Amino acid sequence: MTKIINSNEELIDIDDEAQNANQQIGYAWEEEYKRSWDVLQEDEDGGLKHTVEHLQSRKRKRLERDTSIIKRGIIRHMFLIIDLSEAMLEKDLRPSRLDLTLSYAEQFILEFFDQNPISQLGVIVSKSGVAEKLMGLTGNPMDNINVLKKKNIDTDGEPSLQNALEMARHVPAHGSREILIIMGSLTSCDPGDINETIDNLVSENIRVSIVGLAAEVQICKLMCKKTKGTYGVVLNEAHFKDLLFEIIPPPPVSIVKSKSELVVMGFPRGVNESMPSLCACHSKPVSGGYICARCNSKICDLPTDCPICELTLVSSPHLARSYHHLFPVANFEEVPWSSAFTTHCYSCQMPFQTQPQVVKGRSNNVTSIDSSGRYNCPKCKKHFCIECDTFIHEVIHNCPGCLSTSENST
Amino acid sequence: MKFFIGNLPIYFPYDKIYPEQYSYMVDLKKAIDAGGHCLLEMPSGTGKTVSLLSLIVAIQANYKEKRKLIYCSRTVPEIEKALAELRNLIEYRTKCGEKDEYLGIGLTSRKNLCINSSVNQEKWGKVVDARCRNLTASWIREKSKLYSPGEVPLCNFYEKMENDNERQRMLIPDGVYTLEELREYGKEQGHCPYYMARRTIPFANAVIYSYHYLLDPKVAELVSKELSKDCIVVFDEAHNIDNVCIESLSIDITKPNLDASAKSIAKLRDVIEDIKKKDSQRLRDEYDKLVEGLMAASQERDEDVYLSNPILPEDLSHEAVPGNIRQAEHFVAFLRRFVEYLKTRMRAQQVVAESPMSFLQNCREVTLIERQPLRFCSQRLTSLVRTLELSDLNDYYALHKVAAFATLVATYEAGFMLILEPFENDTIPNPIFHYACLDASIAIKPIFRRFKTVVITSGTLSPLDMYPKILNFQAAVQESYSMTLTRNCFLPLVVTRGSDQVAISSKFEVRNDPAVVRNFGQILVEFSKIVPDGIVAFFPSYLYMESIVAMWNDMGILNEAWKHKLIFVETPDAAETSLALENYRKACDNGRGAILLSVARGKVSEGIDFDHNYGRAVIMFGVPYQYTESRILKARLEFLRENYRIRESDFLTFDAMRHAAQCVGRVLRGKTDYGLMIFSDKRFARADKRNKLPRWLNQFITDACTNLSTDMALVTAKKFLRTMAQPFERDQLGVWSVEDVERQERSNVGVGGRAAQFN
Repeated sequence: MTKIINSNEELIDIDDEAQNANQQIGYAWEEEYKRSWDVLQEDEDGGLKHTVEHLQSRKRKRLERDTSIIKRGIIRHMFLIIDLSEAMLEKDLRPSRLDLTLSYAEQFILEFFDQNPISQLGVIVSKSGVAEKLMGLTGNPMDNINVLKKKNIDTDGEPSLQNALEMARHVPAHGSREILIIMGSLTSCDPGDINETIDNLVSENIRVSIVGLAAEVQICKLMCKKTKGTYGVVLNEAHFKDLLFEIIPPPPVSIVKSKSELVVMGFPRGVNESMPSLCACHSKPVSGGYICARCNSKICDLPTDCPICELTLVSSPHLARSYHHLFPVANFEEVPWSSAFTTHCYSCQMPFQTQPQVVKGRSNNVTSIDSSGRYNCPKCKKHFCIECDTFIHEVIHNCPGCLSTSENST
Repeated sequence: MKFFIGNLPIYFPYDKIYPEQYSYMVDLKKAIDAGGHCLLEMPSGTGKTVSLLSLIVAIQANYKEKRKLIYCSRTVPEIEKALAELRNLIEYRTKCGEKDEYLGIGLTSRKNLCINSSVNQEKWGKVVDARCRNLTASWIREKSKLYSPGEVPLCNFYEKMENDNERQRMLIPDGVYTLEELREYGKEQGHCPYYMARRTIPFANAVIYSYHYLLDPKVAELVSKELSKDCIVVFDEAHNIDNVCIESLSIDITKPNLDASAKSIAKLRDVIEDIKKKDSQRLRDEYDKLVEGLMAASQERDEDVYLSNPILPEDLSHEAVPGNIRQAEHFVAFLRRFVEYLKTRMRAQQVVAESPMSFLQNCREVTLIERQPLRFCSQRLTSLVRTLELSDLNDYYALHKVAAFATLVATYEAGFMLILEPFENDTIPNPIFHYACLDASIAIKPIFRRFKTVVITSGTLSPLDMYPKILNFQAAVQESYSMTLTRNCFLPLVVTRGSDQVAISSKFEVRNDPAVVRNFGQILVEFSKIVPDGIVAFFPSYLYMESIVAMWNDMGILNEAWKHKLIFVETPDAAETSLALENYRKACDNGRGAILLSVARGKVSEGIDFDHNYGRAVIMFGVPYQYTESRILKARLEFLRENYRIRESDFLTFDAMRHAAQCVGRVLRGKTDYGLMIFSDKRFARADKRNKLPRWLNQFITDACTNLSTDMALVTAKKFLRTMAQPFERDQLGVWSVEDVERQERSNVGVGGRAAQFN
């Protein structure tokens, strides 16, 4: 029996509303609808500015991160385990759990390598009680994405957590070891006692994080707790993405030191030749590329492992980009109206709104929700608008205020 | 934390308190101060036991008269839990500088307490009891003195305790002992924990034991005789108390019972013949004693009185035993005649229901057995067994049952009914003589009369006015508490029809309709897809469960459900069920997920908790009505209508709904827990059914969730499960700190105390 579940449909057939009000509900297409207009509340002038700002600031809340300076492992080895059981065919996430998972996985891989260029990632899928390694650990995002893009990804039976975990356990010891599972099924078909596997993971310091697509499963919760990972269950499509992308910043390194402190790494020289020559990775003639620092073979893309001598190849900007995780920009604080003396955002120079005149006797709750729209960098005390705040924290990872003041001082 | 209710300082062993716990204490204190009985309903998992204990211990410590706490619970794990809670509380009080001399003790059967390795290996409680008596009965101990040591086996633990007991009065120092600790202490001292606990009861400040020690006259006489009037008696988990009362005064006699008694009688006769030749003086002594009156004869040590009297102490006759059964051989002949008479009655081909009066009349006409000697049957048998110094008392179990039956029949007239059912399921010949108690108030009346304060409390007592009616007492305070929750941690859904819009119901006419069965199956399959870990499903009866599961198997529904979860089934066999339960839990733990199919009045629905992942959803298939064709139930309904003016349908609905509430309450054992409660029967949507659910449950049943089809329920459930899986902060739970309580207390004093709420 197939069911059409419109849990997050934004479009509503208005004609059905009268019927719904009579409690005469009962058809699949009427199952659930979101009264998205209820969220909107007009202010006195009939505008929606407050609500929009309120929603924005709510979004901002979610983005606040732990900014204390701690040791984080910027060399990460991660296996992405994707559940390919029948449960992934459910259509409660649009267009279906599987399609959404694959497209988010792709975005995740790109973003992961963008933020952690010197890390490695592999993909494992699990269906009908077995696990299959689609791609071993690699430093090249495109390898992983190409694997996921292959059309032969189909679903069958139940997943096996234990098999997949056992497969993902064999990771090099340097760097932090992580497993991320996207799990649509609520059951796991295991050959043995999964608790032993979990104990092994704990002793090997492998962190397991799980994103559940349906509901909280005890064994997943336990596993994440024991291995110090995170466990989240998605509420809707957007929340799914949030949960997935929470994994992208590198996790703090546990006190237990890994065996190797130093990793051999090459910084290849970029070349731009007039005559195309064959590259070592695809055996195709290309004119631009990089030359491995150890064996002098030519590679198309960075970061990657040298296909000839298996040296990890990165460029210095990559390292620099991983670096910001170690020294994050402090969260900006919201500025109360009482100290909102600035008129323009420090970085984009857009004018701030002025404080509205509170008329006495009017409802107070409007003003209490209302924010000044200014955000204050705790170091340089400059004020920024919400767009710049998000941009600074998510993209440039540097505070323009702090940078300019330090330039001035030096 | 420490706070005051009125002038009473209360130590509460946690930093935070739920508002409902506080009001529970306030109401409880009011009832105790007023010296009345009370009826309190509070959901499980909100700390009912600890609130109750905190208040009562505070009262014990601060009031002049030292009142003893008698706390009755249902199962051994519950007794253990209460004891642990009590110890925790006392430790907290000691830490806060209160110097209580407090002795709390738990009592359970010999089977759970015995530490004698030669006895406690036995599997059956009855056998353990019998073996214990063989080692500790007074005549055996007497005998052992005549022989050389070691020839007559005795229990070393018991002997050592007896010896030590002569030297010191108190066997056990102050403190609270859980059952396990009691055993440990017994082993350490070389004392018998069971008898140690029993001897200590008169000195203990708190006694925690099972209902039966207070309600069942057969054991209450031994254990609870010396309790004083001002004890505070608490019945926890008391939603089934009326059934316990009824069972304690009901007796069923089967054909095998009669055959076994006939054999025992023959054996008795042989023993008497034997003794007559060897030691006729002993029988003569007994005869003289019986002439003096039975009370004198029973001045024996309690260990010997194992065939105790089934009737209530106040109904016990103080007259001398009638002449025609004083002689041992006469009594045996008398018993034989009575057993033969019962056998003839059992040959009847049709169902007979008659009052005890008419039974006695008939008995006299046929066998010339009068009522008076019948009344003394049980006591006379006890005395005889003692005189003959019989050891293998287990063999006389059936005979004792018959004697108890005789005594009960001849003692009570009103509120009882004799029913003879010659056939099982109307086909298999298996005659059973039911002597059914119809009036729950008979057994509990002495309790209400004897003790000033009786507290009846449970998670499910709604509707509250039913219990005072059927137990026939006046409640000074009756109150039902709602649950303060900031997140709705359970979601009741009433599913009235399947996805194909066919109404579902376990009503007799439609219950085997394939469409209904398929829809029930559909609910199971669909929910097994979306609910993680464990699902518990309840059926109204074993019979119905079997037929439905067979139909599901034919329809392929079981195979469908198997894909998502393993399926376990409760059976009437306890060992099988506990094995199923163990594996069920394992499957819930390792992520495989499982479904447990069980029965609303079975063992699972009563004593076993399905907290957290062991029960994320509970599904009620149909309304758990009792089997209305049962003649005993019919007789009881008629009795209730005539005597207490309770309509049949009211009582049946009340009974069904309290069991439904019990079943669904299994999944919610605390505020951090969450679970779905699915009522799948269209009759649940009716207001008269819903109103009988407890208040804490009812407050979360919204109109939007009362008339759903399967697919609508699924969507709501999915959303609920997603929302519940989100992390939440602990301080959301709506708890009070000391300041909140003090503020509340001031405001109570301000308005002159909270007015009592009489329903």
